[in-house]
Amino acid sequence: MTQSSDRSPFLLSATMVGVCVFVLAPTVLAVLASFGSADQIVFPPPGWSLKWYVAAFENETILRSVWLSGGIAVAVTVISTIAGTAAAIAINHHNFAGRGLVKSTLMLPLTLPAIVLGLAILFALPSLGLKNGPVATAIGHCIICVPYAAYLVLASLSNYDLTLERASATLGANRLQTFCWITWPLIKDGIVVSAIFCFLLSFDNVAISLFLSRGDTLPLRLMQHIQSNADPSVAAISTALVMFSVVLMVPLARAMRPDRLLW
Amino acid sequence: MHSTPGGTASEVASRWQRGRTLLPREPILLLLPVGFLLLPFFAFPLAILLRNSFFRDVDAGLMAPDFQIGNYAKVLSDPFYLTCYLNTFGMAVAVAALTLILGYPFAYYLVRFAKSSRIFLIWLIFTPLTVSIIARTFGWIVITGDAGLLNSVLIALGATDQPLRILFEVQGMTIGMLHRYLPLMVLPIVSSLMKIDGNLYRAGRALGASGPHVFWTVTVPLSLPGIIAGTQLVLAAVLSDFVLPTLLGTTKFRMLAPTIYEEAVGRFTWANASAMTMIMVILMFVILLAVTLCLRRYAPWSRAL
Repeated sequence: MTQSSDRSPFLLSATMVGVCVFVLAPTVLAVLASFGSADQIVFPPPGWSLKWYVAAFENETILRSVWLSGGIAVAVTVISTIAGTAAAIAINHHNFAGRGLVKSTLMLPLTLPAIVLGLAILFALPSLGLKNGPVATAIGHCIICVPYAAYLVLASLSNYDLTLERASATLGANRLQTFCWITWPLIKDGIVVSAIFCFLLSFDNVAISLFLSRGDTLPLRLMQHIQSNADPSVAAISTALVMFSVVLMVPLARAMRPDRLLW
Repeated sequence: MHSTPGGTASEVASRWQRGRTLLPREPILLLLPVGFLLLPFFAFPLAILLRNSFFRDVDAGLMAPDFQIGNYAKVLSDPFYLTCYLNTFGMAVAVAALTLILGYPFAYYLVRFAKSSRIFLIWLIFTPLTVSIIARTFGWIVITGDAGLLNSVLIALGATDQPLRILFEVQGMTIGMLHRYLPLMVLPIVSSLMKIDGNLYRAGRALGASGPHVFWTVTVPLSLPGIIAGTQLVLAAVLSDFVLPTLLGTTKFRMLAPTIYEEAVGRFTWANASAMTMIMVILMFVILLAVTLCLRRYAPWSRAL
């Protein structure tokens, strides 16, 4: 659709502004609430303080879960990005029997509600010689991250010119050299986007961790904290998480062109 | 033929042709990591889940390896479980409808009228997906709580003297889900609206159709694939949502995911939990199939888009 010179109807613009406010409201409010001084969740708070940051950063349970979730997320990012990229290259570069089948099978974990996967893997753990814990959790996260990684790298390969690789091979480069000098620079952005996505998906996952962890990942600890004592220390952690997302948005914005993924 | 360090040109060419044989080495090598992940940790667990759904719960965490459909019969006849399914599917349909009502105008504005602000608006709708769901949910607790922003404003304005009960009710959960899943509806619609040829509007107007007429007979039908894709994403997401029913909802309005979790991890009735999960998956695929068939029957153009 090309841009049109029509002015937008008032009602449409109003809806637009409303949606923007609605989209941003909870994040903004979570950040504001973290600076309150009340012991309960009261908004507007009677005064302002930083005490919830002190409380949050003295909370051993939460701090430990940050490291645990971070470690799991890094492992998941590395494994799923490598596996997803390899699969994407196989699908894009090679015309083998069953290619379409492989492609749709790869996307299958996305169509299944995550809670189904969590429960299924939980039941399979004993047969696989595994127990609830970080390893099982990381494997579970990988299953939902791999399709995203493969999809995002495939998207970055969509305009990929295979003759470049042939040219590089004809000019005497071996496979590794071709990958480093031709393939990597062309799909780097897709890999960066997929790595950031995998990290965020794993770091924020509840549905899988619920069944496979020992209830000790960061999102699960925060949920337990909200349910047991609804104080604004969760707001302080939330603010830290929002800041973390903002920091990640910088490389994401550089590598991802949403318009290229969308149209 | 020139000889190069990588072999003669014909050797190089034949190496690149290898991908077309029946059992090619390279794609298999490239697919190995994915295979090692998906076979033991995706296909195998799903098979176990299916098998467990026919077993019989004996004791906590102990199943008798019978083959019987008692679990399915129990889940489908017990009012407790039925209410659970009805609540969850009702919620899924309601959230899908609300995200469509709110998301379509947003997507339409973004594509049709936004010029320099278009990329900004895309990021605006996309960014919440990168912020922790717990942080966003906490934000809704701050807004909708009894002493939260909304009630403070309403009381200050004198609109009510008692705080409205939104949090820990169906309303609070609905607002949270609407917010969480709005991007899943908007992004596919934006994608399909962008693909519409602008000349079609001009043709419609030139042939004498009014603006709204063009909207309903050109824009909406052509954006149908986006609407359908968004609806499917939202439906599937609401079905397995655990966080929002737990943190914003009420146990008086039971939802599927927390109930399955309670069955499997709280009460250790694994066979029953498996059957509940299988029924959820089957219902979901029936809905997806019905939508696809309807689309093929009543909107055949959408397949070509």
